[in-house]
Amino acid sequence: MEQARAILWAQWRTFANFYPGRGIAWTTVVSLIWYGMWTAVAVAFGRVFSDPGDLYAIRAGLPGGLLLMFFYWQVVPLLLAATGAALDLRKLRAYPIPASQLFFIEVMLRVTAGIEMVLVLIGVTVGAMFNPQLAKWSLLALVLYVLFNLVVAVGLRDLLGRLLARKRIRELVFFLFVLAAALPQLIMARRGMFIPQVRLLVAGDAWRGSPWTAASSLIQGKDVNLSIAVLVAWTVAAGIFSEWQFARTLRFDLEAAAAGSSGGSVLGGLMEYFYRMPSVVLPHPVGTLIEKEFRCLLRSPRFRLVFLMGFTFGLLIWLPMAFGYPGPTRTFFNQNYLTVVSMYSLLLMSEICFWNSFGFDRSAAQFYFLAPIPFSRVLVSKNLTALFFILLEISIVTGVCWLLRLPLDARRLSEAYGVVGVISLLLLSAGNTLSVKQARGVNPGNSFRTGAAGHVQAMLFAIYPVAFTPVALAYLARYAFDAQAAFYGVLALDAVAGLVLYRIALDSAVQSALRLREPMIAALSAGDGPIAD
Amino acid sequence: MTDAPAAIEIRDLRKIYGDKAAVDGLTLSVPQGCFYGFLGPNGAGKTTTIKMLMGLAPATSGSIELLGLPMPESALEIKRQIGLVPDESLLFDHLTGGEFIEFVGRIYGLDRMTATARAVELLELFELGEAPRKLIAEYSKGMRKRVAMAAALIHRPRLFLMDEPFEGVDAVGARLMKEILLEQVRHGATIFLTSHVLEVVERLCDRVGIIHEGKLVAEGTMQSLRGSAATLEEAFVRAVGIDRAAETLDWL
Repeated sequence: MEQARAILWAQWRTFANFYPGRGIAWTTVVSLIWYGMWTAVAVAFGRVFSDPGDLYAIRAGLPGGLLLMFFYWQVVPLLLAATGAALDLRKLRAYPIPASQLFFIEVMLRVTAGIEMVLVLIGVTVGAMFNPQLAKWSLLALVLYVLFNLVVAVGLRDLLGRLLARKRIRELVFFLFVLAAALPQLIMARRGMFIPQVRLLVAGDAWRGSPWTAASSLIQGKDVNLSIAVLVAWTVAAGIFSEWQFARTLRFDLEAAAAGSSGGSVLGGLMEYFYRMPSVVLPHPVGTLIEKEFRCLLRSPRFRLVFLMGFTFGLLIWLPMAFGYPGPTRTFFNQNYLTVVSMYSLLLMSEICFWNSFGFDRSAAQFYFLAPIPFSRVLVSKNLTALFFILLEISIVTGVCWLLRLPLDARRLSEAYGVVGVISLLLLSAGNTLSVKQARGVNPGNSFRTGAAGHVQAMLFAIYPVAFTPVALAYLARYAFDAQAAFYGVLALDAVAGLVLYRIALDSAVQSALRLREPMIAALSAGDGPIAD
Repeated sequence: MTDAPAAIEIRDLRKIYGDKAAVDGLTLSVPQGCFYGFLGPNGAGKTTTIKMLMGLAPATSGSIELLGLPMPESALEIKRQIGLVPDESLLFDHLTGGEFIEFVGRIYGLDRMTATARAVELLELFELGEAPRKLIAEYSKGMRKRVAMAAALIHRPRLFLMDEPFEGVDAVGARLMKEILLEQVRHGATIFLTSHVLEVVERLCDRVGIIHEGKLVAEGTMQSLRGSAATLEEAFVRAVGIDRAAETLDWL
């Protein structure tokens, strides 16, 4: 136990040393807003569950609700390419810490990937405890269901983390994961086809062998012995699976997994042409710098993961919402699906391309200050690279939509590219300043790590609505004047304003970089604590 | 000294990455109480070997015994008895030097008070006590090596595994570290270190092994290894078979 305490103490010191003064306050503000929202949801659930009059609705909806919580806990952190806090086993493996103790800490840390669901489940339980018909077993049901989710989360994270580290199979694994993650969405969209299967999983009379139905039954005090037995059995099975996965991760050799054949390949040759293209078509030093960005970004598992997610998750999540549901044929989603998917891709890539564009450069960023090139060219090169990949992403989305024979016309295309272009300009203006002032080193080999500090996230809360406002005005103009020309007119004005803002912000970011070069390089060079977030 | 039971016993050790053998059939024995230098050119397999000894990378085949215990079967028991100066990426950058040493002490099972007291003493000994609030992220390379070595000493291990402990350390710091290490050997500890600094190895080590392209190409006492060569550098160059004269380029 002393070792567990030492690890948590070291993490606390890391946190306190990393967020002195203002930073910790911002982190607290962001956390309060986000978790305050979920606390409100929990309170609402608490009220519903405490009312004996709502029992019919509770019985009907509880298994499905618990299944959704399970999906949120296990899948959403991966969808957002962030999995909460986890032990950094690479650093702790060298020390004499029993694997069982590390596993115990890791299970507890999985709470950080699903705090939202813990809050909601607490709300449900507290409400149920005030309801005379649900009070008796709800606490036990909550404890067992939370434990089950924590343990499953460890196993899934470890399994996926290892598979994504393997050089040749990680992309394939990723696509399988995308398909699995999008399954509920597809089922919802084609629910007519899957009604019997869905009923079997989540309806009030659903199969009693699933953990969510068992937890639901236990909360309601139905089939108590069977429900406890089912929940315990699932938790034990999940524990065995996760401990096995954790032990394998502990022994996992990252370098061996990442090693491949040293021989060249046709693809390698083609990629070399692709890498060299910017130097051929663009003047020095911008071409050379973009070539370097292409090489570094495309070799980074984290960038590749986010890029793939942009068009795979984007399409699988948003297209069923746009076209899968019965009902009115003209909805906002199906009229603007290309813009919506493109915006989703843009937001996913923003962490790497906008907000922390020096994150992968780490200590090598000092080269930019030593090389005989203006720093503004460095920023412009990074921005052009970001724009290139964002446009490539939208083009892939468009290509897939064309292959799926979805409605594509000049209006949809120009709207998607125009909206993304304008918002990119605005985000780049803010991103250059943040990348310089709030630089933070990111391990490019880590597929999951997000790297954004609390106060940066707080700033993003303010920046996103401001950046989206000009585009919202364009849509408003189209609505008010009922004319597409009004939309394009406002969007064109937005683009001009965006260019002016970009120019001003670029100069300001360059001045800041020259003034703050020392803390910037130090921040990029720094590593982590024993627990990565 | 060579009659003492082995602190490190490696037999036919292999480590394959992809289609390349980083370590290829390494067999080596390090007696207890020995100061052993493990040398080799860049990419020869030194760091991979020491990672396998530390339990950070599994061997593809072969066996390792440390202090008479098999690795990885008895990894936990072995790790309790060894002190590590690993690659500096294993340091926690957002801890101060004192906090890191205390953390390592507690991980090795010392109670908090003992770990804190020893951390303060070690910081003084390694001349790191002047800036107690300074984060490891702000340390120079030499300071990082010193704090790693201080942390390795906190639980008084019997065997030290050190990866390039003198890299980036200034002359004064290096001298201090050498004295501390020699003192440990005098008290019966075994030290296994990798280094590029041949002068340091020549001055400190009783035995030396030279690895090249994953294979042990020379091994023995300092005297036997040098043979007819005037310096260790000469013996080293001869052993790895790279006696390349300085070349020039037309444009240089």
